[in-house]
Amino acid sequence: MKYIPELRSALGDEKVLTDPAELYVYGADWSPRTSDEIRPPDVVVQPKTTRDVQRTIKVAYSHDVPVTAGGGLTGMLGGAVSLFGGIYIDTTTMNSIIEVDPKNQTVRVQAGATLQEVNDAVNPYGLWLPHQPESKWVSTVGAAIACDNDSTFGVRYGKILNCLLSAQLVTGTGEVLELGHRKAHFTSSGYKLKDLLAGSEGTLGVVTEATLKLEPIPETRLVEMLVFHRMGSAVDYLNRLLKAGICIEAAHINCKRRLNFYTHAYKTKHGKDPDIPAWAEALLAIAFAGDTKIISVQRDYALELAAEFEAETVKEREIIDSWWASKYTLEFEPFKQKWPDSQTTKKFGAADPGVPVGRLEEFYHKFVEVAEKHRLEIIGMNAYLEHPNSIGFSLSCAVFVDYRDADEVKRFRMFHDELSKLAIQFDGTMSTFMSDSHQKAPYMELEHGRSLKYMRDIKRLFDPKGIMNPGKKFPREEG
Amino acid sequence: MRTADLKEFEEELETCFGTSCGFCERGCPVYQAMKVRTLSMKGRNRTMLGLLKGKFEITPAVVQAAFECTLCGNCDRWCSLKNTEHTRAFREYLLKHGVEPMKEHSSLLASLKNYGNPWFQPRSARGKWLRGLDIPKAAPGKQEVLFFAGCTSAVMKPLVPSLAASAKLLKRAGVDFAVMGQDEPCCGSTLLRVGQADAFEKLEKENFERFKALGVKRIVTACPGCYTTLKESAEKLGSDIEVMHITQEIADLVKSGDLEVKRSSEKMTYHDPCHLGRLGGIFDEPREIVKAVSSFVEMPNHGYESRCCGAGAGLQSAFPKLSRELAAKKVDEAKGTGATTLVTCCPFCETQLRTVPGIKVVDLMELLLESTEVNCKKDASR
Repeated sequence: MKYIPELRSALGDEKVLTDPAELYVYGADWSPRTSDEIRPPDVVVQPKTTRDVQRTIKVAYSHDVPVTAGGGLTGMLGGAVSLFGGIYIDTTTMNSIIEVDPKNQTVRVQAGATLQEVNDAVNPYGLWLPHQPESKWVSTVGAAIACDNDSTFGVRYGKILNCLLSAQLVTGTGEVLELGHRKAHFTSSGYKLKDLLAGSEGTLGVVTEATLKLEPIPETRLVEMLVFHRMGSAVDYLNRLLKAGICIEAAHINCKRRLNFYTHAYKTKHGKDPDIPAWAEALLAIAFAGDTKIISVQRDYALELAAEFEAETVKEREIIDSWWASKYTLEFEPFKQKWPDSQTTKKFGAADPGVPVGRLEEFYHKFVEVAEKHRLEIIGMNAYLEHPNSIGFSLSCAVFVDYRDADEVKRFRMFHDELSKLAIQFDGTMSTFMSDSHQKAPYMELEHGRSLKYMRDIKRLFDPKGIMNPGKKFPREEG
Repeated sequence: MRTADLKEFEEELETCFGTSCGFCERGCPVYQAMKVRTLSMKGRNRTMLGLLKGKFEITPAVVQAAFECTLCGNCDRWCSLKNTEHTRAFREYLLKHGVEPMKEHSSLLASLKNYGNPWFQPRSARGKWLRGLDIPKAAPGKQEVLFFAGCTSAVMKPLVPSLAASAKLLKRAGVDFAVMGQDEPCCGSTLLRVGQADAFEKLEKENFERFKALGVKRIVTACPGCYTTLKESAEKLGSDIEVMHITQEIADLVKSGDLEVKRSSEKMTYHDPCHLGRLGGIFDEPREIVKAVSSFVEMPNHGYESRCCGAGAGLQSAFPKLSRELAAKKVDEAKGTGATTLVTCCPFCETQLRTVPGIKVVDLMELLLESTEVNCKKDASR
């Protein structure tokens, strides 16, 4: 690999890793795969600046070498795994907080800062970044943009794109661009190229810096849980709350099975799953945040409206707290934690389709049917409301996958693909928080039709040699 | 389980690979300073798995992954796997597979073999701290409680006052105890942490045979490293000897008011030594003492979240630059609270943190003794 000495001279030896053990650890993310499917890159670079990224991509461009950038490597579909080897850019070494601007409620960061690091930096100003996936301690700003992952508070604040004002991108030719509208919240000028970055998976270039919009930290947060006879009733209830003018901060509809995946703290304490009524098919966890006086009224009225939908509130506070710990606070007992505890033999695997609001329950039954057909143990479904002040949800259709069993991993992928295609048939979309990666690449035409050609053209504009994360979204193009 | 072979952890390594949550990264002082993936626990677990599966040979990065860690246990706090044990077994595995001990660790081991302590001090130096203290030497059947000084405190001159303070306070607590003086052995912590499991197992067995022959029922120590090592050895060997840390003996005295202390208005913060806090489960007793004698303020990362000072598990000797960086971070965090004194109760932490200027580092027992003596002096002058 004759380009490696060039990388060393461009960046310095200490930023270029080639030891096979060091490469190996970058060879897999959180997605279900056997340990024989680890795909290490050929070289890892650890940049400190945008200039370092630019130098790296220029070397890659001149040698036609694939470039994959990654953050915390907690992606669930292999988006940041180097399918074709080449250079892996570890952006976690670019984690500086460049500017906190409390007056304008913005922060400028290097893209390798974790979402938690951003919040640690802005918290003293009474501000927060509300894009909050469960992986926030590890998930970086750049990876959140590239993957367009989920957020617990989507129903109020949306996802990362709703927070993203501007982003610096190093394209596939090594050109440095600033996309966005500085510190203005929106623009009517030009094409919104910044928006292309959400879910772009590093196929257009590497995001190196971002300006993010912050929100004031609410005074109080109240979390409640309700049980419903049907999943559809939970959707109708949420619609009713929005119609009533209630401001919801978080809303997650779990099927009955899925709740048990989120109550680790309860199980640690009581040694059993929480008791919920046998008739309950859906559980809605819902949060309200703001001044105590306001949200108490909103919460009380919301609970009052529940009667219209024959819903009941969950009275056992520990169930709710335990769910919230898993979803947001991450306050686990020392030496106990949900993820390793719940995945000692099989791991979490999911499909992430989106369906029209009126077809949630129908799709849920399809999910169960498809999982059973592929002989996969069902974890359950969670519908996260991810769009500001609307019912639009991400679906996490989760199963356990024995990643030591190549056949089961294969069956999981069939399950994932089948649900992705089914979602399109349902007038929905195949991805809502995991992006496409290579797994959904075969179905891009089904999802996007003739507009796919325009997407390919956009890709070529940013990355004429097709070196940026090849194989993701589209099959790799040579030359 | 403590000296289990790396192979025995293969299932746990698979679980980590399957989970890949990376929750261990945020609090890992070494990973946060270095940002090299093989130095985070998730990366280290993956490195071990790759090695066991024959994906690569033992390389310099593999050796670095094994030894560039303080075994502080912060990764364990956010996990259900025995990560610290994996790392310890990883070291042992490498040494058994042809990796030479790091030269800095070799010298510690040579000193342990020749002098019974890792600091190249003659055995006679171990009893020097006892001068003027009038503490009986342990003899068969003569005492139930043994005060175990530990190598570092006993032979490092600057630490002698803290050891003497512990002994004086133990006397004030009315505990009838003896010491082994220059015959006191090393607890074996150093051997265990640098991967010398066989030598460690031999030593711990010999040690507990000696304690038993002396008729010891309870060991009290002021060194957190000795505390966790001896406590775990006692459990592993099925010994009925109880192992206590000095703060457990003394905190009640302060709490009950039996030991009258003068409270200063100085702002002080407390650093949880990893072996006492996260690994030993003792958080409250030292805090009760600091609160009694000062205006106490907590650091942002405290208790289970406390960040390691960077001295442990051979890091200070083999990776001095990184070790100093971690100490500086810790001192910065302490200074950020507005405290002017950083209190701790571990000879390693004290020595390490004193290398960073900008804050006064004091030993908890010395601080407490001084607070009581100030009171005594005041009483005498009336």
